[in-house]
Amino acid sequence: MAVDFTFLTRVAPALAEGLTNTLTLAAAAIVLAAAWGVPVVMALLSRYRTVSGLAQAYVEVVRNTPILVLMFFIFFGSGFAGYPLSGFVAGLIALVLQNGAYAAEIYRGGIRAVSQRMPEAGMALGLTPRRSFGLIVLPIALRNVIPPLSNQGVMVIKDTSIAATISVAEITFKARLLADSTAAVFEIFFTLALFYLAITAIFSGAMRLLEWRVRIA
Amino acid sequence: MPTEIEIRSLSKWYGKQQVLKGITTDVNRGEALVVIGPSGSGKTTLLRCINLLEEFQEGEIRIAGEPMGYSVDAGGKRVRRSEAEIARMRAKLGMVFQSFNLFPHMSALKNVALGPVRVLGTPRKEAAEQARAMLARVGLADKADATPAQLSGGQQQRVAIARALAMKPKAMLFDEVTSALDPELVAEVLDVMRQLVQEGMTMVIVTHEMAFAQAFAHRALFMAEGEIVEQGEPTRLFSDPQSPRLQAFLKRFKEGYQL
Amino acid sequence: MDVLFQALPQLAKGTVTTLYLAAASVVLSTVLGLVLAILQLYGGIILRALVEIYLYIVRGVPLLVMLFTMYYALPYANIRIEPNSGGIVVIGAYFAAFMAEVFRGAVLSVPRGQWEAARAVGLRTPRILLDVVLAQATRVAGPPYINTCIMVVKGTSLVSIIGLMDVTYVGKQIVERTLAPFEIFGAVALVYFTLCFALSRLGRYLESRVNYAY
Repeated sequence: MAVDFTFLTRVAPALAEGLTNTLTLAAAAIVLAAAWGVPVVMALLSRYRTVSGLAQAYVEVVRNTPILVLMFFIFFGSGFAGYPLSGFVAGLIALVLQNGAYAAEIYRGGIRAVSQRMPEAGMALGLTPRRSFGLIVLPIALRNVIPPLSNQGVMVIKDTSIAATISVAEITFKARLLADSTAAVFEIFFTLALFYLAITAIFSGAMRLLEWRVRIA
Repeated sequence: MPTEIEIRSLSKWYGKQQVLKGITTDVNRGEALVVIGPSGSGKTTLLRCINLLEEFQEGEIRIAGEPMGYSVDAGGKRVRRSEAEIARMRAKLGMVFQSFNLFPHMSALKNVALGPVRVLGTPRKEAAEQARAMLARVGLADKADATPAQLSGGQQQRVAIARALAMKPKAMLFDEVTSALDPELVAEVLDVMRQLVQEGMTMVIVTHEMAFAQAFAHRALFMAEGEIVEQGEPTRLFSDPQSPRLQAFLKRFKEGYQL
Repeated sequence: MDVLFQALPQLAKGTVTTLYLAAASVVLSTVLGLVLAILQLYGGIILRALVEIYLYIVRGVPLLVMLFTMYYALPYANIRIEPNSGGIVVIGAYFAAFMAEVFRGAVLSVPRGQWEAARAVGLRTPRILLDVVLAQATRVAGPPYINTCIMVVKGTSLVSIIGLMDVTYVGKQIVERTLAPFEIFGAVALVYFTLCFALSRLGRYLESRVNYAY
């Protein structure tokens, strides 16, 4: 098998057409999932059994269902119900539903990792439990969750490739189109892999920078 | 001298186990009260009840005459006061913990200024100036921008004292504040506490530092199994213990190990 | 509901394929993951570097891209492989990277002091590894191992995209014919949910058993 690496220069621009879609979908999914995780973790930690129970059930369901099936369900389901969503929107919803649950669990872990003594020290100063949580526990917990959130973000970036199956014209979709029309499939998927490696490396590098900026020295 | 802290028939249970058995004592304004006793005697629990970091089931605590934590309603039922009221009461008491419990994500200055800004509503600039003064008072004027991780244990504990003092408390509670320190760092913390005693701060000090208690406290209180066994002027109490339990406790101490 | 009822035999067939793919992939990824973890912990510098590179690639490239690479590229390289086996190899190799991290983390979680204490008692390296380190590491590895197994089960759904007839593929075929996405994909989701949920319960059960034993 002869591998023609000069093909790279011709493949890369073709794939790059899908780059905007990949990046937009990934960025939107990461931001919205991180945001959606907040009400979910609040529900998980709720004093009311019904609320925390429902939240726990939601987390279990979306965590134990493949993202592909979630995408199919939302994409084809929305069409059938008479409110057809674009592949992009359906894919985004699926990614946010699943990763919001993961984010909530990460937040819960981050809060639990803060020593019980911290809110106590705040209360001894005369802060109410609620304010002690907001002013002291939360800022510490937010620092704790940057590394696991970053890992989850990488997962989201990789999972955007699955939206190709519901006709989102992102880079994996483009690669597959190219592969169907040319013989240089190895080069195409090699280039595609390089794209993902670059995106995930930039993302986790940026997150490490953020972690370093807010580190507790 | 008026009474700053009144404790009346205080009882507390963990499940079925009673850990405080009807404690009654007063702390007068300007008095430094030392509480000693073997581990599990309930001395730390008593201290934590005073600012309601622990709930108690019977009895009453008053700070400057105002009941702490609970009030009695028209029907004579004991009800827990609102979180806001409890927080307002806690602000009148300064607490220093065994493990310092500084906020790790804030500089020394911010640790000290947090209470005044967020609880007392002091303007930030003014609070920062006060915080600097407090840090100077505990000998750490040059450490205002250091984070807790950059400070030694003794320095962290002094910042913690400054943090409590910044609230201008009516009384200070010290919970074994030197127990987590390396021996060579104990003195710098005790120095600050001695200074506070001399300035007339009302203090309740749970400690194992008998020499400090003997030299600077006005009164010592010996607890065992949730009860006050014996109390009095420290020098007299330590030199002439009446109860067998205090005698045994002091003997073990002199021999150099603790129960 | 009628639609679902008629689809049941086909869905059942797809479920069997999914079960087979999942079981084989879990076994393969576990074995490969153990090998990778051992190389990473005790291999020479070259082996360790190779494993690092492998892990780096897997962490940054989607599973779907790897599946595509194999299914599109292998025929060009004149390599013929039975499709189901091909899927298992790719999924197994992919999740082996995650498994390796679980195993390595668990071994590293046993403090050095344990080695030293065991040496001080006079135990020899294999004994220490077996009785002291692995005994503790398996307990640490339990929950994340189960989580990774769940990822493997969910990951098998991607083979439907390259035409393997697992439960997701079958579901999609039926939906295209019957236009009943809620019932069919709901049923498909239920298959995965049941599998994964059972796994996590099993994990919790094993955890309680192991903790009880000590």
